[in-house]
Amino acid sequence: MSDRALGTWDWRRIVGNMFPLLLVLSVLVLWAGITLSGARDLLEEYAILAVMVPTMVGTGGNLGAILSSRLSTRFHLGTISLDPRDPVLLANVSAILALAVSIFAALAVGAYLLGFVVGSDLTLAQLLTVSLVSGMAVALLAVAFAVATTYASYRLGVDPDDTTVPVVTNVVDVLGMVIFVAVAAVVV
Amino acid sequence: MDAWRDFWSVYRQALPVLLVALVGGLFSGLVLERLLGSVERFPGLLVMVPVFLATRGNVYGALGGRVASGLHQGLLEPRFRRDERLVNAVTASLVNGVGISVVIGVITWLALLALGWERAALLELVGIMFVAGVLTSVVMVVGLLAVLFAGFRRGLDPDNLAGPVVTTLGDIFGMVFLLLSVWLVGVLAP
Repeated sequence: MSDRALGTWDWRRIVGNMFPLLLVLSVLVLWAGITLSGARDLLEEYAILAVMVPTMVGTGGNLGAILSSRLSTRFHLGTISLDPRDPVLLANVSAILALAVSIFAALAVGAYLLGFVVGSDLTLAQLLTVSLVSGMAVALLAVAFAVATTYASYRLGVDPDDTTVPVVTNVVDVLGMVIFVAVAAVVV
Repeated sequence: MDAWRDFWSVYRQALPVLLVALVGGLFSGLVLERLLGSVERFPGLLVMVPVFLATRGNVYGALGGRVASGLHQGLLEPRFRRDERLVNAVTASLVNGVGISVVIGVITWLALLALGWERAALLELVGIMFVAGVLTSVVMVVGLLAVLFAGFRRGLDPDNLAGPVVTTLGDIFGMVFLLLSVWLVGVLAP
């Protein structure tokens, strides 16, 4: 098979297209790392908060990605509009927020149970407060960000799977870390 | 009502996937908690953790999406064989995955320098990222392809499988290999 026949499957082309974006995203997410590193004392005192970090950081991005990919399909099909009273838009956004409540409540319960393993003094009420307050703040930002960027990439004619989804995921990851550390510092 | 049905279908489809990701996330959180003990030896290690994990998702999410499209379009067969498209897609993800890991080591060191924070040697941070990047990449490629191929042969949509598989495997193996790599570099570094 010649290079031409390989088309978009040629590894040099994939790397050439993707590496610059990976680089930009890495610099962006470095901010989350700096926030995490700055919160080291807090994490060492309350080890259970460290256990919550990967989920706190990942879930907002996952929710944003689900919403982005659903919205981009529907923008293309013309079955949805940006009108806040649009019933399909409202159904999708409410589903994402309901998922956020479920997952962040489950995260608090999971962390509470693991607290018996790693040794934690935090109450279930404290963990629920940290998880739900920071989780719902991140979920709202994820929704706003996913709707805005998906609509923008649809209007600009950019493929959302290649650009919007990774950008939404990574930006929301960073916001998740910053908000989680800020809320945890206030609550515990 | 249509909107209500839409609400439930999104909720029901996404919840199991997110719960699996939650289990993976909690496990990787336990590993992160263990990693805190090594920060003393390698200052700056924590800065790299979110970037390293996010990169796994970006690189292997792209591979998963590409392989899923290839399977749908009949360009790929759902089995491990020396197919030129498959070899190119896997090569690209290995180059991206290992390449960006090394870059993460470098930019982390530079950020710590700019902030004036305590930092491990540049070679130590890069070495940790390189070893963790290589190990994670191999497991991610084999694991992701195995699940996508097996799922596709059983009639499951690989588009729905790729995301959660990448998130969960990436969280779990990313953190485990990061811990292993920190230990290895700690043993080898003078």
